[in-house]
Amino acid sequence: MSIFTILISTVFVNNFVLARFLGICPFLGVSNKIETATGMSIAVTFVVTLSSIITYIIQKLVLNNGLEYLQTIVFILVIAALVQFVEMVIKKTSPTLYNALGVYLPLITTNCVVLGVAILNIQEGFNLIQTIFNAVGASVGFGIALILISGIREQLEVADVPEALEGFPIALITAGLMSIAFLGFNGLV
Amino acid sequence: MNEILKLGLILFIITAVSASVLAVSNNITEPRIAEADRKANDLAKQEVLETAEEFDILDEGKLKEVAGSNSNIIEINEGYSKEGEIVGYTFKTKVKGYGGEMELIIGISTEGEVTGINILNHGETPGLGANATESYFTDSFKNKLVDNELVAVKDPSEDNEVQALTSATITTTAVVDGVNIVREIYNSKLAN
Amino acid sequence: MKLSKVFYNGLIKDNPIFVQLIGMCSVLAVTTSVENGLGMGLAVTGVLIGSNLVISLLRKVIPDKIRIPAFVVIIATFVTIVEMFMKAYTQELYNNLGIFIPLIVVNCIILARAEAFASKNNVLASVVDGLGMGLGYTLALLILGGLREILGAGSIFGKELFGPAFEPALIFIMPPGAFILLGILIAVFNSVRKKKATTES
Repeated sequence: MSIFTILISTVFVNNFVLARFLGICPFLGVSNKIETATGMSIAVTFVVTLSSIITYIIQKLVLNNGLEYLQTIVFILVIAALVQFVEMVIKKTSPTLYNALGVYLPLITTNCVVLGVAILNIQEGFNLIQTIFNAVGASVGFGIALILISGIREQLEVADVPEALEGFPIALITAGLMSIAFLGFNGLV
Repeated sequence: MNEILKLGLILFIITAVSASVLAVSNNITEPRIAEADRKANDLAKQEVLETAEEFDILDEGKLKEVAGSNSNIIEINEGYSKEGEIVGYTFKTKVKGYGGEMELIIGISTEGEVTGINILNHGETPGLGANATESYFTDSFKNKLVDNELVAVKDPSEDNEVQALTSATITTTAVVDGVNIVREIYNSKLAN
Repeated sequence: MKLSKVFYNGLIKDNPIFVQLIGMCSVLAVTTSVENGLGMGLAVTGVLIGSNLVISLLRKVIPDKIRIPAFVVIIATFVTIVEMFMKAYTQELYNNLGIFIPLIVVNCIILARAEAFASKNNVLASVVDGLGMGLGYTLALLILGGLREILGAGSIFGKELFGPAFEPALIFIMPPGAFILLGILIAVFNSVRKKKATTES
């Protein structure tokens, strides 16, 4: 698969949030404001790309020697450790960046996009370059969905929503309508 | 310092115990998984080439020779009858459907007939392109002669016509094209 | 706390999907049919009972500072075991659920129960809590999976319901249908709960 196809596919056609249902919790949890959504998206892109590269290398060098069954446990530990590490580094080196992203970092460990992308890279048999583009595409797709819905939800704040639908239900229905729009990308790749 | 050491040790013990538990359960399930994989694989081949009892995979050199520059052909198997005679071939190939790549398996007998096709993996739209997995579609390829190019139509009547899927032209074309490519490879390389 | 109450809390009162609104990814993704929903629900229930059991057993041994990584390791172990056995014995279901089996590890329900319940309660209560929460999750999957299969494919457990004249609304087995139906279901659940609360008070 060419890297261009991978990008288009992960960002639009098989959008990780709207078509593959990965990362729904942060998608609904931190999408109240465009500002936080943007911060979260950047943090996710950073962690997803970095963890994809590291898990890919670990898979090739260590796990492929008969230890495939430890994949889940090793990947989640790597991701958790990485998130901690990134948090520490950013805190030391750039307080501004830390102020912007710091609050999102702990949340990312349990964002299934991170583990999902890491596992999919291996399942699809990607090489390192494809892995990187898959990771970037997945997180950009996540970011687009997140920022778009936060824009809509900011407007919903002032709209007159039926009482039972307030909050989560209306957000889910909005996501459904966005997902219909994204169906239009089907058949592109 | 002592406390860090203690914490590390506890975490290490938990991880070590977990890893050994997993190693044990891996040992228990591994043969079962291999067996189930093999069965699913054999079953897929047998479904499209019913007359064969045993299958023998073409090695990479031979596969290149037969498939030529066509990198979409993933795997070719020779099918043997109980008596050890070659009765046909199964081809695993990938084609580009509407929702991404689809994997097909196609059987062709040495008599020059398509013995069956099956869709193994696909990302087609449920209810539309995904109907390609239904038997009314796959069965329409059965017993077609490999001499003629196959075409999909709404109401098949001619010898070279197969069933088209309603509202899923891209899926239909992808599968029919895939079968036609395999048909040509068979004609030029494997038929005597 | 009475065990029956712990169980009821998990199943209905604090239902992880409809009330706590966590662990949504797999709920939306695997409910294209009731069968997939049931399979996923039972897999999660199994992991929940196992991890709650072990974490409750070890609750006095695991120091507070490293409890999260320790919980994650224990959960990942159970997930991998469930994955292995599904691969070996129910391969078709395993293929249908795909990546969402390993992703049970990051399903917030499991870590949340470990943190909020199993690390503070005795073994028996923790197992009951795991069972209740797991079945509550399964219940949500069954309802959503059932509705999606009936509306979107006109069948239930793969059996045709309405005959050939029925034109299924495909949108419901496609991704958008999952979002919209779950949104409506939560809204219904909310208003029923609210009504109940007002009549009680």
